[in-house]
Amino acid sequence: MSAERQAAADAGGAAPEARHANWQADDTLLNHLARNAREVPDRVALRERDHGIWQEYTWAEYLDRVLAVAAGLEQYGLKPEDTVLVVGDNRPALYFAMLSAVALRAVPSPAYPDATPQEIGEQMKREGIRFALAEDQEQVDKLLEIRAGYPELELIVYDDPRGLKGKEPAGVVGFETIAAAGRTRLQAEPKLRDDLLGRSSVHDVAVLLHSSGTTGAPKGIPIKHGHILFAVRNAAQAEYFREGEVHMAYLPMAWVGDFTFSVGAAILLRFSVNIPETQETALNDLREIAPTLYFSSPRAWSNMLTRIQVGIDESTPFKRWLYNRFMPFAVELERRRLQGRAPGAGERLWRALGEFLVYGPIKDQLGLRRVGRPYTAGEAIGEEVFLFFRALGLDLRQFYGQTENCALAAAQGPGSVKLHTVGKPFPGVEVRLSDNGEVLVKGDNVFDGYFQRPDATAETLVDGWLHTGDAGYLEDDGQLVVLGRVSEVVYTAAGERFIPTFIENRIKFSHFIRDICILGEGRAHLAAIVCVDIDAVGHWAEEQGVPYTSYADLSQQDAVYDLVEGVLRRTNETLPEGLQIRRFINLHKPFDPDDGEVTRTRKLRRNVIDDHYRPIIDALYSADDQIEYKATFTYETGETGELTRQLHLRDVTPGQAAQTAHANRAETHRAAQ
Amino acid sequence: MFYRLAGVYHTTYAGERKLWPVPADRWQALGVLALGLLAPLLVGDLYLSSYLLPWLVWTAAALSLTLLMGVAGQLHFGFAAVMAIGAYTAIHLTRFGVPFEIALLGAGLMAAAIGSLFGAAALRVKGLYLVMATLAMQYLVDWTIINVPAISGGAQATLQAPEVSFLGAPMTNDTVQYYGALLWAAFLTVFIMNIKRSAFGRALVAVRDKDFAAAVIGVNVFRYKLLAFFTSSFLGGVSGAVLAFCYYEAVTPEQFSFDVSIQFVAMVLVGGLGSVIGAYLGAAFVLLLPIVLTNLVAGLADSGLLTISQNLQSHIPLMAYGALIIAFLLFEPLGLAKIYDNLRNYFRVWPFQHTRN
Repeated sequence: MSAERQAAADAGGAAPEARHANWQADDTLLNHLARNAREVPDRVALRERDHGIWQEYTWAEYLDRVLAVAAGLEQYGLKPEDTVLVVGDNRPALYFAMLSAVALRAVPSPAYPDATPQEIGEQMKREGIRFALAEDQEQVDKLLEIRAGYPELELIVYDDPRGLKGKEPAGVVGFETIAAAGRTRLQAEPKLRDDLLGRSSVHDVAVLLHSSGTTGAPKGIPIKHGHILFAVRNAAQAEYFREGEVHMAYLPMAWVGDFTFSVGAAILLRFSVNIPETQETALNDLREIAPTLYFSSPRAWSNMLTRIQVGIDESTPFKRWLYNRFMPFAVELERRRLQGRAPGAGERLWRALGEFLVYGPIKDQLGLRRVGRPYTAGEAIGEEVFLFFRALGLDLRQFYGQTENCALAAAQGPGSVKLHTVGKPFPGVEVRLSDNGEVLVKGDNVFDGYFQRPDATAETLVDGWLHTGDAGYLEDDGQLVVLGRVSEVVYTAAGERFIPTFIENRIKFSHFIRDICILGEGRAHLAAIVCVDIDAVGHWAEEQGVPYTSYADLSQQDAVYDLVEGVLRRTNETLPEGLQIRRFINLHKPFDPDDGEVTRTRKLRRNVIDDHYRPIIDALYSADDQIEYKATFTYETGETGELTRQLHLRDVTPGQAAQTAHANRAETHRAAQ
Repeated sequence: MFYRLAGVYHTTYAGERKLWPVPADRWQALGVLALGLLAPLLVGDLYLSSYLLPWLVWTAAALSLTLLMGVAGQLHFGFAAVMAIGAYTAIHLTRFGVPFEIALLGAGLMAAAIGSLFGAAALRVKGLYLVMATLAMQYLVDWTIINVPAISGGAQATLQAPEVSFLGAPMTNDTVQYYGALLWAAFLTVFIMNIKRSAFGRALVAVRDKDFAAAVIGVNVFRYKLLAFFTSSFLGGVSGAVLAFCYYEAVTPEQFSFDVSIQFVAMVLVGGLGSVIGAYLGAAFVLLLPIVLTNLVAGLADSGLLTISQNLQSHIPLMAYGALIIAFLLFEPLGLAKIYDNLRNYFRVWPFQHTRN
């Protein structure tokens, strides 16, 4: 590490070796990879679906490729402590190259494949990136565009030769070329192989991840070999991972979970990692592989439930009848099981029949038949969704963590799942609460400080305790409950304390709502901006015979307003009087990461929303029934356009009595016209 | 429900093109094969030699014909004649002392030679005209067999099949005859399934769909039409010999009359053109259903539930049979194989109506 960066990374002041006295210097990803290649050379390490069939890479081939690319990259000038951009969908070559960079003690810095050139450009400038690994022509084009304003970018390495091979612009090289150069070197220098394996140390940074940047520029989060390996060991000790799991690597490489699961745990515990052909075929590919370990976000589980429900609605009457006989029964059974009541013999028999007729086939259709460890994390999961998949016979469990602790801080144990908790801390991880109710985490998996941000590090990391920024509490049995972000706690004008995300997540449990933004800070009451889910609501509209042409048209239908109002009314029933949502608007478009309204992981950026929809927010707190809204939007090309739209506003009425009030209001409105 | 597709993946294209890539299909096929192999232990002699055995032989014939009619799209209304050539050739060869195994080949070659001769008409004509050409073959062959004593052994004569053995097993034993027929049907099943996924099969399908379009994309229509007739007739000839030795143990011209040709066409159509499983189902339908219906009506009449005249008792099964053929083809014009396929899909996407991906 350069002196400057070292200072930044170790703002605590201690030398890295002293800080992690229990870490063995040779406990590196590379050495574990080499051990796999030695002990189980022929076991499949990676599988990638290419042109319809699965290409397999064994551990021996994995190591060979990593070393060849490492030798090649070194020849092309990659130096220790360089940061290397990795951008693209999950590809074996990108995983290989990340480890190659690590072998050379350089640091891979992955970016989301759909990040804009501007976002990637800023990342490159912040991190002084000279080398970039790109998946395909699309990413290379993006990087070439950046290079025009950032000449420090020396080399772009691409994987997919389509559209590039033989026509590479200057400074663009194919992976195969690099690997071939490396192989030549490895043959010429017999000692190079062991040299490459031995260079990295447990204290080296293995990957530079990034905070989502909900507020301001993303912060770099360097994760060292030791962090990732100890995180995985802790989790394995809690039987959270087993050796030799079949894992599906379909989530973005820039997300911490992918690095933890597909690289850290995969190498340490010899997973076979399976990579779908494209994002579009991921579901089909998932079914072909039938993994034993499956992680998905609450949102994705919920989408899956929607898909099942839509499928059942469309299914033949007999199948639908069977489903309705067995599925609610299983959900009820699971609900009681979680409350600690064991099912009777008759119920077990009935469930076994259901397993054959309904649950088993559904799991097979989804490709989850062999999943023994289904997980979710990132945000709260809806009770309906959670119970549904547990009722199917999947031991769905939540875990809790941040990028800063390799995403592995706490998880629900196999026998002790409670709906509202995220489970107990992993062995080797300490969790306690600060005086103001913030969750603090300490352990070998907790990072050593942000990249070149001593100020942020000082705030976040105090005496080795990671301040997660999450508000929560510990239950008597040691299970952790997470409420929301400490920073997100806001107050209404009446002084009611609430966390918007908490309410939003509860509302989003309805599959009709894709996104929702709760407003009300410093206001008299709460209001909501709603983005309906085009698939679920579109299907619903078709069934109800509501014609529509586009998302904007659908969102403004009266029937859709009624539907959304019903959802909000149900949520209101569970909220205290002062925190009920009084008014809402259906937005004419979903929140879009390209417009900066949500992050790539679909977290709301409230300041951007406040800014974009200022007139709408004002209207929500006025007496108007509709608003003429000038929408500015960004085309794929980056140009912006403007469009004027009529948007309706609607009060959420608590019950029947208030319905009439609404009707009266409408009467008055018509009379006024 | 029974089709578990999760976890079925392929690392090679050859693996993807396996005959039964889906485990449930593989188990079904193995189960049916096991039942076929164990049949002599499971069912009585009567059922073995008068139901299962003819079903297998007729299925073999239907498979041979479906290659020509279903895969290559060439109508053939004289397939009984092709089988007759095979049967008579085999009998005469064995009477001359030729080993049965060689005689079977001879039967196939003779049928293929004469069959391709008439098939050559297909190079000029299509559709109904080809039907006429193959009908002509049926009548010419019938006439020749009846009127040439050297072949038929004299007018109204029946030629007994000599006692032969196949690979050391005497073909007079019921069980050996059954296994002989099973072997031939199993071989044809795998053979036709393989043909359908080979270059030869694809060329035939191209010719079937539009012969001049096939010619445009480089398929030699002349060659493939002739090859289709040759292959199908060869298989039909061997099937005829198997029929003569395993089932009838003798040959007379009536066994291969025009009616029988129509039966084969019915099997192929009711079963589903070009389908292997359809040949099994079609043969069962055409061959076994009348027997089942007759037994049913007779049973009902004997038990007194149905009081009808003897005359009507013999006509009702025929009427019901005819009605069933029409009903099935109205219900699913693509044949029993399509019904099977629909059923398979119904369970394959269970509990949904389509695949969810």
